[in-house]
Amino acid sequence: MKFSVYRYNPETDKEPYMQDFEVEQRQGMMLRDALLAIQSQDESFTFRHSCGEGVCGSDGVNVNGSNKLACIAPLTELKEPVVVRPFPGRPVIRDLVVDMSQFYAQYKQVDPWLIRKDPLPEREILQSPEERNQLDGLYECIMCGCCSTSCPSFWWNPDKFLGPQALLSACRFLADSRDQAKEERLDKLEGPYKLFRCHTIMNCVEACPKELNPTKAIGHIKAIMLKDAI
Amino acid sequence: MSRHATGLRAWFLQRATAIYLLLFIIYVLQHMIANPPQDYHAWQGWIAQPLVGLGILLFFTSLLLHAWVGFRDVLIDYIHPTAIRVTVLTLVGFVLAGCAIWVLQIIFTATAA
Repeated sequence: MKFSVYRYNPETDKEPYMQDFEVEQRQGMMLRDALLAIQSQDESFTFRHSCGEGVCGSDGVNVNGSNKLACIAPLTELKEPVVVRPFPGRPVIRDLVVDMSQFYAQYKQVDPWLIRKDPLPEREILQSPEERNQLDGLYECIMCGCCSTSCPSFWWNPDKFLGPQALLSACRFLADSRDQAKEERLDKLEGPYKLFRCHTIMNCVEACPKELNPTKAIGHIKAIMLKDAI
Repeated sequence: MSRHATGLRAWFLQRATAIYLLLFIIYVLQHMIANPPQDYHAWQGWIAQPLVGLGILLFFTSLLLHAWVGFRDVLIDYIHPTAIRVTVLTLVGFVLAGCAIWVLQIIFTATAA
């Protein structure tokens, strides 16, 4: 199977270039396996990966134009030549490895933890099954970055627009019955940038390997804001 | 620009005006199909009705507000140098304000005649 892979080593290369590789395809092979095979052909080829089963979120790459987790992308579903590039819009450290610090900084901005104002009880704070269900489709995010780095609004204003991942997390805590900082959370999202750069393009929904729906979460935040304002 | 420009209000305004624009366009289309004005006089008579005049006035107000939010969004997305953005934003504002005055003039001459 033919591969065309993005290569760039800032220490030795003036410019990034695409390099072709040929990998023998075996049954059940995922893109990550192919990348490992490429690495055994050329040891200098660099990419991130860890668990190999779509849980850790390390091996997000751009494959034939869309962001995917290499470990759960079957080769049989990919068109040849398979063009593998790093996430779009992120600074490249080397080959497929990109600098995600801005993405994590945006995540941090939404205070992704429970905030309680009441004194903490001696035991767990209980939720009804219905309250717990509100978190479904929000808590499963593994922060691979496939969504935010496929979002045009995030490409244009990555320093000001929080991006789908951070907003999904914001929604996760707004939806949590145990959280008591709704007003502060909403105040933090006001203004034309942090939340409202989302134009419902829905690349995030397309890209999410966990089949979550950040666009819906963003719409939910807008609805909460509107309810709160009127 | 960013600190005081609104997020929620602009977003809500865009949605609300969009709904009115759609409804009014449907109304005008059905009117044009059901009983199209035959001559200039009929046109004038139709527009001179207070409710229609008000509807048209609201239509263009909505259209201009909708356009303002839309242009603002595009400029915030794509134009990052503050000086250029403020200049273009001001320019758009002037053009839209000009359109508003023009619309008012047209409606008042039509209803006054």
